[in-house]
Amino acid sequence: MQLAYTEQQQAFRAEVREWLAANVPPAPLLTLECEEGYHQHVGWERQLASGNWGMVTWPETYGGRGLDLIEWLIFEEEYWGAGAPLRVNQNGIFLLGPTIMEYGTPEQKARFLTPMAAGEVIWAQAWSEPGAGSDMAAIKTTAYRDGDHYVINGQKTWSSRASFADWGFGLFRTEEGSQRHKGLSFILFDLDTPGITRRPIRQLHGHPGFAELFFDDVRVPVDNRLAGEGEGWSVAMATAGFERGLMLRSPGRFQAAARRLVELFRQHEAAAAPSAREAVMRAWMDAQAYAYNTYAVAAKIMAGGKIGAEASLNKIFWSELDRAMHRTAMQLLGAAAELRALADGSINEWLEGYMFSLSGPIYAGSNEIQRNITAERLLGLPRVGAG
Amino acid sequence: MDMLIAPERLELAEAVRDYLAGTHGPEVLRRLDAGPNRDPALWQGLVEMGLTGLLVPEAHGGLGMGLLDAALIARECGRVCLAEPLVESAFVATPWLIAQGQTGDLAAVVAGEHRPLAAHGINGWVADGEGEPLASIDPLRRLAALHEAPSDDPLLLDLGALMSAAQLVGLAEAMLDQAVEYAKIRTQFGQPVGAFQAIKHKLADVAVALEFARPVLWRAAQALDDRAASASLHVSHAKVVATDAAYLAAESAIQVHGAMGYTYEVDLHFWMKRAWALGGAWGSRASHLARIDTAVIGAAHPIGPENTFA
Ligand SMILES: Cc1cc2nc3c(=O)[nH]c(=O)nc-3n(C[C@H](O)[C@H](O)[C@H](O)COP(=O)(O)OP(=O)(O)OC[C@H]3O[C@@H](n4cnc5c(N)ncnc54)[C@H](O)[C@@H]3O)c2cc1C
Repeated sequence: MQLAYTEQQQAFRAEVREWLAANVPPAPLLTLECEEGYHQHVGWERQLASGNWGMVTWPETYGGRGLDLIEWLIFEEEYWGAGAPLRVNQNGIFLLGPTIMEYGTPEQKARFLTPMAAGEVIWAQAWSEPGAGSDMAAIKTTAYRDGDHYVINGQKTWSSRASFADWGFGLFRTEEGSQRHKGLSFILFDLDTPGITRRPIRQLHGHPGFAELFFDDVRVPVDNRLAGEGEGWSVAMATAGFERGLMLRSPGRFQAAARRLVELFRQHEAAAAPSAREAVMRAWMDAQAYAYNTYAVAAKIMAGGKIGAEASLNKIFWSELDRAMHRTAMQLLGAAAELRALADGSINEWLEGYMFSLSGPIYAGSNEIQRNITAERLLGLPRVGAG
Repeated sequence: MDMLIAPERLELAEAVRDYLAGTHGPEVLRRLDAGPNRDPALWQGLVEMGLTGLLVPEAHGGLGMGLLDAALIARECGRVCLAEPLVESAFVATPWLIAQGQTGDLAAVVAGEHRPLAAHGINGWVADGEGEPLASIDPLRRLAALHEAPSDDPLLLDLGALMSAAQLVGLAEAMLDQAVEYAKIRTQFGQPVGAFQAIKHKLADVAVALEFARPVLWRAAQALDDRAASASLHVSHAKVVATDAAYLAAESAIQVHGAMGYTYEVDLHFWMKRAWALGGAWGSRASHLARIDTAVIGAAHPIGPENTFA
């Protein structure tokens, strides 16, 4: 254990900070869950890419900087600390990207990774179906082979930003009559392919952040399949692992929010409930604990280790920390909590953030499911309903 | 920057874990509780492992290791609910005396013949002290009221709080293990109670609390070892989260055991009582929160990601 940053790491932090200071939009962008905001965010992705900041851990050949995970954590800390926009391509760069890196052919890597890091292709995730949420193995949408194409029929739902995104990835049943985890394949598709209908769904905040996708004889080249036919489930589990593990939610985000919460508390201290004080400290403590843990996990991965079911502990922790932190802010705001814009005209980020934080314990596998995984795979308790 | 504990640093703690698993099972706790409370052979075994000299410099015959190593071992002591005051003596009083330049008796300390104890003013008593006995809910703590004026050195408080936190983590881990084992074998409604989600989720919550208490503890140990300016903040953080994890583990474990958990017959109670004792010792939760308050809300410590390790 050696808790000081190296000179090189400090220099890197300074470089990131300087670039962000010069480039982060001075006024917050509109939400990426509405069409106009989405396009503003795409512009920001391209600006990031112009400085090769799209995905710093990726090899330079794909538009990255070939940096290690500690440097990525530093980048993220600076990113959130600078109040930079949410990443509209998070499903691509944090989830699909690492999956392609692991399972893609050289052609697929060249074809998909470079435009992803460049912010040219924005990705949507298409797992969920009306009858398959937590029980993802219940998916029904089929992709049957016809020569060198798959023909897709069925329906996906809750697909974030698919109302506007360019491409989607998801699991499809490629074997006729197959059940559960078997006969599934991981397929990437252009959302503009004929036969796909997108129906925007308004989220809690009122913006069309979800889309329902209808597939009607949609023809997708077989080359768009990642890994072998029928191997989709294990590939999808790897993607889900990235989602729960350290990629999607780096600690810098929560630390930046904890710092803002402390500032908010200082402004409202006189009127704050006694319990708010502890909740504010708890936010700081939990964000710190999450950072220590993530740094340790990053070091473990860099030393050749893997994260398995522990990713579930991670997911429970960050999602509940985020919700508690925003709930505390709402309580501190008092009457102003309901306002969508605050007195100074700025967006009430705490309200937007609180609404968003409510989804954390649901998406990426609900926390009930994560607790089941923890109990069964980490603690070794019997499976649900085992007689 | 490397937040990972090097594998070779974990080896000694693993050796201690194996040793304690072989010599300090629950039957020892039951025997000592029923009998004279003492078994000199237990202490001798710890001395022979070199643990009384763990933090004593090599020049004085010790192992010259650091507080992180000691915290790793204190966690093992918590895990078996150790009946000897190794932590209070070797990992709290000894390094404090050394820090004060009191190195005269160190050979006897290493040899286990002299067991220093130190008391901080935040407690009115000391565990395993000579003097007027006080009854603790923990039958193996052997409390004694203080006669002399205790120290108010913040370093002593930090050492005591850090090592209590380490034991609390070990205690919580052991309580979780006991509850998991019980949940696998106790059958009701035709299935192990551990198959019920209400039980599963309770225990998963303990696992989450522990997963995020451990790195706080390691970070605090390293900070105090480095005598970092922020060490007290990190020690208080560790004490609060370790205490919370241990209370959660205890309450969850007793619930999972049902009425069985409410008896003196299962061993769980020893761990629970030690957790209650250490949770309040070396600074209450409130006193540690007050230190965090000063640092974080009071701006005594710069916060934000770039200061994670400051
Ligand atoms: C903001 C947001 C973004 C999302 N983005 C995407 C996306 O981009 N692409 C995509 O494919 N999906 C996306 N989802 C969908 C998400 O993956 C699902 O919501 C999630 O898997 C849960 O499924 P469900 O909503 O159908 O809930 P259900 O499965 O219907 O569950 C309802 C409730 O029952 C509980 N439950 C279900 N099964 C069990 C069980 N075995 N034990 C205990 N409790 C159980 C759940 O935990 C939940 O509380 C998103 C969701 C949200 C909220």
